[in-house]
Amino acid sequence: MTPTALFAILRKEFRVEFRSRSGFFAASLFAVMAVFAISAASFNSKLPGNLASGLVWVSLLFGSVIAVPRRFIQEEELRTADLLRLAAHPNAVYWGKTLFAIIETVAYGTVVSVLFFLLTSAKLVDPGLYCLGVVGTSICMGSVISLCGAIASQSANRTALASAISLPLIVPIVFMGIACLRVSMGEGLIPGGWRSGYGLVGYGIASLAIGPYLFAAVWKR
Amino acid sequence: MLSAKNLGKRLGPRWLFRNLEFELGVGDALLITGPNGSGKSTLLRCLCGLEPVSEGSVTAGPIGIAAIDQAVYPDLTCQEHIDLMVDLRGTGDRKALELVNLSYAANLPAQKLSSGMRARLKLAMAVLHAPTVLLLDEPSATLDAPGIALVENLISEQLKRGCLVIATNDPNERRLANQEISLEV
Repeated sequence: MTPTALFAILRKEFRVEFRSRSGFFAASLFAVMAVFAISAASFNSKLPGNLASGLVWVSLLFGSVIAVPRRFIQEEELRTADLLRLAAHPNAVYWGKTLFAIIETVAYGTVVSVLFFLLTSAKLVDPGLYCLGVVGTSICMGSVISLCGAIASQSANRTALASAISLPLIVPIVFMGIACLRVSMGEGLIPGGWRSGYGLVGYGIASLAIGPYLFAAVWKR
Repeated sequence: MLSAKNLGKRLGPRWLFRNLEFELGVGDALLITGPNGSGKSTLLRCLCGLEPVSEGSVTAGPIGIAAIDQAVYPDLTCQEHIDLMVDLRGTGDRKALELVNLSYAANLPAQKLSSGMRARLKLAMAVLHAPTVLLLDEPSATLDAPGIALVENLISEQLKRGCLVIATNDPNERRLANQEISLEV
């Protein structure tokens, strides 16, 4: 795998995304609607940190699930995956698409967060921990969900399978992500929140390390 | 350059083809014929590794393939397709659109191309890295007369540096080959 090939895949993903406006824009629409709904429901009342962290996390989760697995599934549905199989090393495809998924998820997390704190009464106590929580969650979700999308894209019932196989892998991210965000919003003990944040980053790095091996096995026919 | 030994492909209980053996060198052109559903396109996909074989083996040098059912990215322009393939392969001619007389459409997205123009784009992507083995599936199916002449020109260039496998039922393309395999349903 060469850096040129990796960045060629990344560049292609950006071009296709900005021209087709499918994944990120659909997920952002969901983010706007979700935050408006939370804002309307909690109007004139204080949103406690433990509830707010759960709501932010649910918005992040659904946005990622809408956008991320589409990257591989769409390649198979449009039958363009064969072009990549013929010309590219599996690692270049994996890293190019996973990097794009992580960038997309971080961007989506930023949109959700900005809207959430602008439109609700939730309070942020530790911005650094909050950022670690959102970035850590984004790395984990980007790598895990894109890998599940790659595996599911080889089957007939792609979308349902992607959700089903990503569920057990997402559960640890849910616990660590919510613990991290809850503490950053003033609920619970600060050291515990940072430990969860580091746990998220570790989980993300582990999934990124295992990903290429699993991907190479499912990608080449 | 391209050799197949005891090649077989099974779909469920049915063998699409079995015990295929051939060896192609520089200047050889293999014609694959057969009715619809006989496995012509599947054989090409097996030769380039896009489809696993059920038995036997294939040995080949660098391969390029242009197939009628091959997809392109609807949102990418012709030149972006060429650049993507060159970057992924790490080698190739970024001016490959000139080989197929498609330079004038370099900045058009693939979804705006006619079927003939799309066929030319696929040809350009197949030959941009000067492969030693070129696989063509129904190459002239959607092309006009100048397009067909262009394919014949590309084929004669290909035969100077390598070999060719062509799956077709077009009688005009039979004369290009010196070997033939006929598949049956």
